[in-house]
Amino acid sequence: MDKVPVRRARPAAPVAAPLPAPADYRPALLLGSVFVIATCGLIYELIAGTLASYLLGDSVTQFSTIIGAYLFSMGIGSWLSRYLGGSLLRWFIRLEILVGIVGGFSAPLLFVLFEYVTSFRLILYALVGLTGVLVGLEIPLLMRILENRFEFKDLVSRVFTFDYIGALLASLIFPLVLVPQLGLIRTSLLFGALNVVVAGIALYRFPETRPFRRGLSGALVVSLLALAVGFGYAERIQTYTEGLAFQDQVIYSKSTTYQRIVLTKNQRELRLFLNGNLQFSSLDEYRYHEALVHPAMQALPQARRVLVLGGGDGLAVRELLKYSQLQRIRLVDLDAGMTHLFRHNEMLLGLNKRALLHPKVEVINGDAYQWVRHDTTRYDCIVVDFPDPGNYSIGKLYSAAFYRELEKRLAPGGWVVVQSTSPYVARQSFWCVSHTLQAAGFTTLPYHCYVPSFGEWGFVLAGRNAHWRPDAGPLPPGLRYVTPATIRDMRFFPPDMSEIPTDINQLNNQALVRYFEEDWGPYVH
Amino acid sequence: MPTRRNFLKQAAAGGAGLLLAPLAGLHSCAPGTSRSHIRGSMHGANHATGHLLRDASRLPAPTHTRQVEVLIVGGGVAGLAARRELARRGFRPEQVLLVELDEQPGGNSRAGRNEVTAYPWGAHYLPLPDPRNHELLAFLQEAGVITGTDAASGLPIYNEYHLCHDPEERLYLRGHWQNGLVPELGVPPEEKQQIARFFKMIEEMRGAVGADGRDAFRIPLAESSADEQFRRLDTVSFAAYLDQHGFTSPHLRWYLDYSCKDDYGATAAQVSAWAGLHYFASRKGRAHNAVASDVLTWPEGNNFLVEQLRRQATSPILPNTVAYALQETPGGLAADCYDVTTHQTTRVEARRVVLATPWFITERLLAGLPATPLRPLNCHRAPWAIINLTVDGLPQGPGAPLSWDNVLYGTDSVGYVNATHQSLSLNAGGPKVITCYLPLPADKPAEARQQVYQTSYDEWVRRMLAELETAHPGLTPHVQRADVWVWGHGMVAPTPGFVWGTARQQVALPWQDKLFFAHTDLSGISIFEEGFYQGLRAAAEVAAVA
Repeated sequence: MDKVPVRRARPAAPVAAPLPAPADYRPALLLGSVFVIATCGLIYELIAGTLASYLLGDSVTQFSTIIGAYLFSMGIGSWLSRYLGGSLLRWFIRLEILVGIVGGFSAPLLFVLFEYVTSFRLILYALVGLTGVLVGLEIPLLMRILENRFEFKDLVSRVFTFDYIGALLASLIFPLVLVPQLGLIRTSLLFGALNVVVAGIALYRFPETRPFRRGLSGALVVSLLALAVGFGYAERIQTYTEGLAFQDQVIYSKSTTYQRIVLTKNQRELRLFLNGNLQFSSLDEYRYHEALVHPAMQALPQARRVLVLGGGDGLAVRELLKYSQLQRIRLVDLDAGMTHLFRHNEMLLGLNKRALLHPKVEVINGDAYQWVRHDTTRYDCIVVDFPDPGNYSIGKLYSAAFYRELEKRLAPGGWVVVQSTSPYVARQSFWCVSHTLQAAGFTTLPYHCYVPSFGEWGFVLAGRNAHWRPDAGPLPPGLRYVTPATIRDMRFFPPDMSEIPTDINQLNNQALVRYFEEDWGPYVH
Repeated sequence: MPTRRNFLKQAAAGGAGLLLAPLAGLHSCAPGTSRSHIRGSMHGANHATGHLLRDASRLPAPTHTRQVEVLIVGGGVAGLAARRELARRGFRPEQVLLVELDEQPGGNSRAGRNEVTAYPWGAHYLPLPDPRNHELLAFLQEAGVITGTDAASGLPIYNEYHLCHDPEERLYLRGHWQNGLVPELGVPPEEKQQIARFFKMIEEMRGAVGADGRDAFRIPLAESSADEQFRRLDTVSFAAYLDQHGFTSPHLRWYLDYSCKDDYGATAAQVSAWAGLHYFASRKGRAHNAVASDVLTWPEGNNFLVEQLRRQATSPILPNTVAYALQETPGGLAADCYDVTTHQTTRVEARRVVLATPWFITERLLAGLPATPLRPLNCHRAPWAIINLTVDGLPQGPGAPLSWDNVLYGTDSVGYVNATHQSLSLNAGGPKVITCYLPLPADKPAEARQQVYQTSYDEWVRRMLAELETAHPGLTPHVQRADVWVWGHGMVAPTPGFVWGTARQQVALPWQDKLFFAHTDLSGISIFEEGFYQGLRAAAEVAAVA
């Protein structure tokens, strides 16, 4: 929470002549309700604003537009209140149940829909508008209910006093208590329940509700139950422990068949984690992806077809699309959940420049190993961007047998480039990848670059009797990291990262997974 | 001379073990239990044909006659290897005919398949072969298992997809999975010393050579030294030998018992010391790209090798066919072959017949040939149950990750093999099939057989899950299917005196240049290499007289 929202203003409703106030606790009860519903109302507004800045970025714009839309909708609600007649108390109770449901489920609904819908903004503003209209109805309606029980000046004074105190309370507890302790989803559900509780108090404390008590009781119980179930479920999808595992606010998390995808965001950057491992930070991923793609591609001015294995974020493809001579980029990533996210989420589309939607790009969701074994195409360049070899399943994708399959798919003169973990932290692992590529018949050109989020990171270029120079062809304009001089620098390994002898990674020894555990073990534990 | 009817009655009675009650359709586990959702099939070798044989008097008389040069009875590894070798020795496809009782050949190396993966119904791996076993290496090369030879070392290069992927083995011991099967975790130092001493002794035996210049322990075992200092080991039980040599560590003894059960279906007390030591000391595999302890394996187990054997020859195979009424003819021998699917009997007249059948079947077939001398061979053969569990998850205990071979210390079973282990998919958490091996060693196998035939589907599943639940708590709800195969007659066990006694070597001798024998029963050790060797030997004998 880094933005303080604009305070809201409440429109005053016309009030009729006063009656002597009966010695009755019920008006006080209703004024107490004002306090609660005011708090709830502002909480929904804050939730929508926070969620929008988390999910869509650019918090100034998000907060500003959300507050504007919310206040405007409240105005509509206030205007509509004049059309409500008959039993006002009945309307009020209905309204509170409705606000409880709509406001209460707003955060879980937005989180869930964010994964699935393409036009998230539309849904977001529709929901903000609906909540605003309902909240806008509340105060005018209450004032009309109370109009006979207070003098006008007292009524206005009291209602707005409670309203603004509630707003103050909301704006303080939201960033200080609710978000850190409960998270957005549970906060939203909790305040939804408070709205319903207000409805309940009104329903059972006022005798004039008797005729419709039975009917509304059902709705009340069902709503409370739904909110409670939601509260229990929220625990599962956004647990407190997950909040602890990541430094920043988790704005998206999803368990696919294969992995757990988590996006976090702070003021400066967006980070993607797969199974808890950092895949990129939006701040410096360009260094990684430029280093991954351009040393190979600049040497292939005639390249037509490229195969990308892994890299479902589309960031390597974004770099590849800078080479207009390419006719086809085929990306094979296991996880449809991952490629779907990077083809539909607007924030992420901004990051990968809609690379996976480009007509030259073909996205295939499948097992890279099986796919490569059955493929018949030959590629000028193969970009291998798998997760680090942290387990035996992934270790197979770094084996000599796999590299021999890649070799069969490589066009004459082509290049394979393999992300090869950190040559500084995991020196054995890095050189094991290089040696395994050599064992598969490749000539290798190892290199490394510095990515602040990761540290020193390594890559291995592998070719077969291919000629390579750091300045073989033109680099695309606009690169922020890679130049011919950078490429030359990247090829140099200082003594603390220089080549060491290693075993070859084979399916029947999984040497790399063992090296990787040894190398990274001290950093993990 | 017994009539055919008599023969069939005898076969029906004597071969009762083979003739499981018909077990068709889908079985389910007991209702009201945690496993009540589990369904699956239950099989036993040849049960359909066996059922038919019970009513053998109704088998029709031969309506056709067919003449071949060589008839092979039995489509296990030995029979298929003989068929392949005959082709290599120049027999034309039309000169050779193989009849197999079951609908698919393979014997103990059969396989099943479902939507998740293929899986074994029995034998499931081949240790890296001794490079001196040239015949086997040639077969493997033709099968694509060996892809080349390293120029510098001369050692074979194995297909990496067929070498068992790492991690290979783990053992569940004291609530923790350890790497490797030799107990280490929490084993007292004095026991560890014994274990080290045992393996040091094995290392010496692996290199030991007899007075005749032959290795003490070799595969095929016929190549082993005849030196009395080694042959003597065949007269005592492995357990007695271990006692004598002070190998008393409970952890070591468990491990050795496990090993004997794994390969022989019998305990260390039941097999000979020679056989017990052969299990370890005969492993002399070498390869350019693998180490001696590596093994070759496939999702479908050794059915992969069976299929390769089958493909490397083109002579016809008649499945679902019962051979019976073996009789002498002027030109050789004849056998009546009843086809279960067409309900027709064909008299096959052959100049030579290779009986590649287990000895209890061979004895029945020989009974129709009064001229043959009685050839007693007392094969100890314990029952087995194989339970293939299709699971959508496998809750893991602490320690080493899921491996190819997963063994639980101190249990009846010899653990399970992950049929999807060789998969190259990244989806390690996906559904898999685990093949559980439950040998049922018994001093009186016939009684044990009667018992296993009475054991229900539910009981097999219950028993296996009870074991697995200790290491995989919460496994039961993940079981989608359980398929059970009950082997009434498992593999032959090399009991003391069996391998180097006179009976075994005598029964393998051909009779009158007409009848030849090939089966691992004639080796006493039921492994692929021996079946292969037996087939090659019989084919060579046939070729020698042809």
